[in-house]
Amino acid sequence: MKFIIQRDHLLQSVQDVMKAVTSRTTIPILTGIKIVATEEGVTLTGSDSDISIESFIPKEEDGTEIVEIRKPGAIVLQARFFSDIVKKLPTDIVEIEVENHLQTVIRSGKSEFNLNGLDAEEYPHLPQISEENMFSVPTDLLKALIRQTVFAVSTSETRPILTGVNWKVENSELTCIATDSHRLALRKARLASENTGTYNVVIPGKSLTELSKILDDTSDVIDIVITENQVLFKAKHLLFFSRLLEGNYPDTGRLIPNESKTEIVTLTKEFLQAVDRASLLAREGRNNVVKLSTFDGGVIEVSSNTPEIGKVIEEIQSQSIEGEELKISFSAKYMMDALKALEGTEIQVSFTGAMRPFVIRPLHDDSILQLILPVRTY
Amino acid sequence: MGKTWTQLEEIQPTVLKMLKNSRVKNRVAHAYLYEGIRGTGKKEIGLLLAKSLFCKQPGDGFLPCENCSNCKRINSGNHPDIHLIEPDGQSIKKGQIHALQEEFSKTGVESKKKLYMITHADRMTVNAANSLLKFLEEPHAETVAILMTEQAQKILPTILSRCQIINFKPLSSVKMVEKLVENGIKPVVAPLIAQLTNNLDEALEISNDDWFAQAQKLVLKLYEMLKKNSLETLVMLQENWFVHFKEKEQLDRGLDLLLLVFKDLLYIQLGKPEQVVYVNEKPRLEQYAMQTSGRRLADQMEATLEAKRKLQANMNPQLLMEELVLKLQEGSSFV
Repeated sequence: MKFIIQRDHLLQSVQDVMKAVTSRTTIPILTGIKIVATEEGVTLTGSDSDISIESFIPKEEDGTEIVEIRKPGAIVLQARFFSDIVKKLPTDIVEIEVENHLQTVIRSGKSEFNLNGLDAEEYPHLPQISEENMFSVPTDLLKALIRQTVFAVSTSETRPILTGVNWKVENSELTCIATDSHRLALRKARLASENTGTYNVVIPGKSLTELSKILDDTSDVIDIVITENQVLFKAKHLLFFSRLLEGNYPDTGRLIPNESKTEIVTLTKEFLQAVDRASLLAREGRNNVVKLSTFDGGVIEVSSNTPEIGKVIEEIQSQSIEGEELKISFSAKYMMDALKALEGTEIQVSFTGAMRPFVIRPLHDDSILQLILPVRTY
Repeated sequence: MGKTWTQLEEIQPTVLKMLKNSRVKNRVAHAYLYEGIRGTGKKEIGLLLAKSLFCKQPGDGFLPCENCSNCKRINSGNHPDIHLIEPDGQSIKKGQIHALQEEFSKTGVESKKKLYMITHADRMTVNAANSLLKFLEEPHAETVAILMTEQAQKILPTILSRCQIINFKPLSSVKMVEKLVENGIKPVVAPLIAQLTNNLDEALEISNDDWFAQAQKLVLKLYEMLKKNSLETLVMLQENWFVHFKEKEQLDRGLDLLLLVFKDLLYIQLGKPEQVVYVNEKPRLEQYAMQTSGRRLADQMEATLEAKRKLQANMNPQLLMEELVLKLQEGSSFV
């Protein structure tokens, strides 16, 4: 293998794939970055076996040559050293050559590095993707989908399946659901393309957080391919693979109540700040619990009482209250997380009694829903 | 690493026959416990099973080809769907089992098949063993567990009952000696080495080791000093013993050697001099054997075994040796 490449392109790609490489891995080869040179360009791959990132540097872009391939081939180089070397090379042109038996020479200007490589055959094989089973989502929508659901995944390992987000595709509609069994976040999105097939997979929350960090806020489309044991997100020159979680995701359809006994409409920001203030004193107490009561004339009272510290009461004027009077307690943290994830200035909260879960939605928007279980207090 | 099927078949014919049948009939159990003393080829056979399961083109339905990318990667420890857990320091910690559990809540990297191997499964902490139990109870489809141990009786009965136990028979020491001699080890040291390991490669390594030759001398010297019944033994510990037996494994081996001295003496007393392993020192040992009693030898062996156990429980090596020496002398010299 031998090629000559622009340093800044190489550096960008190395930094992208480095996000997937961890130093603590049980599989020795995963401490390396795989570099493959073909006639079309250079591909770099990093992986920690949970997620894998592949970055492609095309031979030329917009008419300017980026890579000059002298001889195709593949090698795995120690990620930590390789990334540092690339970062500190003296000139803008880098030459990488694999000499006999995995000895790799990196030349730039007058400096020359000899690095011992590993056999690229040893590197895990990423699934071969067929282009047929694919659907696309704009980057900004994908990031929103992740942001609005991933915070609700469980952090406890007792039920591993709940540490992921359930992605369902049916009738050209994508539904993302995350729950830790105390709260649930659901977000739907219509897919532009028809014939998307049906899928039901669980993607680890950590992978999605990582993905959202890598993606820029653009409106470019991301192609998503779901295979038997991996999911692939495909941006322009970047491929992001993640393993899936094994097992069946609980059926959450029945959890979401259809009717409601009390409906409140209020301003999101005002309500969020009130809950935030009430939680200040609740923070020390059990579970961060605040209490909400409704009164005539559209007044909501948010309060919290911790006998050792003190108590706080705040009244908010809501837009409207319909239905029965209600007193309910819930975790302020869950409520704040949910409110922060919602878009829209006004929200509608639907209660079905003090012991039943309640639903928060933006007004006139069915695509997103947050469900919280109340806390029993005496 | 990476012996072939035929090479291993010589060492463990029964085990490999079982393995072959379960592969051919496609009835691989979800969990195995490989039990057998050091050097009986447990890990190699574990890897062999892994290769047999993952190989792209197994010959006759079970024989790994050793050439496809899966076989190669298993040999070099780089296959992403095979997990090997070894004790982290003294024991296998709960965190390691947790990491394994996390790993197995996800789909495989390349295929749906997954395999994990735990060496020294007896060194799992109680917490770790209980976490593992949870997931031996509810095995995933196409997941195979291989636990390996030298001491099956130390494994939780609840784990034992969930594994198919496979016994690895050691080569009988007579056969082992023959084999060692065939491989060019001197007939005088072969019996001793055969007592220490059952693995040919390791035996060859030991026989070429200066450290080991020196260790033998020191152990015999220690025994002689003990007989003189003097305080000098304690001095000797400081001067020679700890300089030589620095690491825990080394000390463990030293105690093994000491145990063999007592065993030899007992054999001589029982009139079975052909069983003696310190062949070089036989005349001297015969002399010593006349000066001690069987009862006393038994006590001394017990004290040594106790010291070995304490060593595994992380006792300070210096205190341990001093305690042992005092016990072996029966404390009489201090009165």
